[in-house]
Amino acid sequence: MELFFRIAVYVPVLFLVAVVVVAQQHTTAQATLQGAAARTARWGVWSLALLAAMTLLELLFIGW
Amino acid sequence: MVDSNRTDPAMGNGLPAFIMGFVPGLLQWQLGQKQRAVVALLSCTAVLFLGWMVVGERLFYWGLGVPDGKSAFDNVAQLGLPVLPEVLNLPAQILGSLLSYDGTATGLRLQRLPRDLEHIAGWVTAASGMLAAFWAAAGHWELRLRRDGQARDAGAAPRPAANPALCAGLSWLVPGLGHARAGQRDKGVVMGVAVTIVFALGLVFSSGHAVDRAQYGVWWIGQNLFGGGSLFAALVTGPMRSVETPIDLDLGIVLCTVAGLMNLVVMCDAFTVAERSVFPLRPGAAKTANEGAKA
Repeated sequence: MELFFRIAVYVPVLFLVAVVVVAQQHTTAQATLQGAAARTARWGVWSLALLAAMTLLELLFIGW
Repeated sequence: MVDSNRTDPAMGNGLPAFIMGFVPGLLQWQLGQKQRAVVALLSCTAVLFLGWMVVGERLFYWGLGVPDGKSAFDNVAQLGLPVLPEVLNLPAQILGSLLSYDGTATGLRLQRLPRDLEHIAGWVTAASGMLAAFWAAAGHWELRLRRDGQARDAGAAPRPAANPALCAGLSWLVPGLGHARAGQRDKGVVMGVAVTIVFALGLVFSSGHAVDRAQYGVWWIGQNLFGGGSLFAALVTGPMRSVETPIDLDLGIVLCTVAGLMNLVVMCDAFTVAERSVFPLRPGAAKTANEGAKA
């Protein structure tokens, strides 16, 4: 439940941040939203990679 | 419209102009706009002291460093320099600090004493700093216009779709309004909605307690970059009594601060959109920007 809550907050906020970041490179709302969706997907992958790296570090230095 | 062919179109106006921006109206005075200069100085000073009448020396307590009469940092803190964004209105901030600083035990105690209406008064003093920043932005824009515009348009300064500094100021109060003014209405709506939703989520998760200058002063500096949101919080949620700490208070504080930082991007973009109505991207630069967007 806690994980679901975190994802339910994180992903939409990530998209909204992407909207503002991507909008600087576009002039229309439609192009902005399309760009933000792609950017969110890419940031999501990076987030997973970061999560995996942090979990690995935790396993290495703290243990299971 | 003027197509700038400068090797670096984003080149600034130099360090002296940057420093002059800290004194409201000084850039306008240098540009020969003497009436505007007086209005800038008076408006910023009046707004600061309007709030100062209520909060007074309590502003010291809301800075990045609190003067305690002991530390080496004390002289800087006594001048009110760590208080953001008021420090952007430098002369009035220093004057007010010099007049009200009291290093005695009683004075230091007064800094910690909550006041009636301090939420809205704290917002008003902060608004003076933001107002000074927008006056400085207007001065910088005018400098750029004269430097790059007149040279390419036979001496007559071109006019933008809207004043870039005004667009940035409007976006501070209502995210996206500056874009609408500059001609990108639908994009402004999307950006404004994004900022407002993140800010509202922060308030909901924290039961309205995330935006409170008296409690979370450092976070509030970022949150205040969304002026309309921090004004709402100062009027409605800030004065609410906190019975118990909400479970997701930390999340709420971070979300409201992220919304403020998002709005900083919105303000800068609104300025840029208006600026590009006079100085469009050169074809090469536009291509680079599009490639950046695709990457």
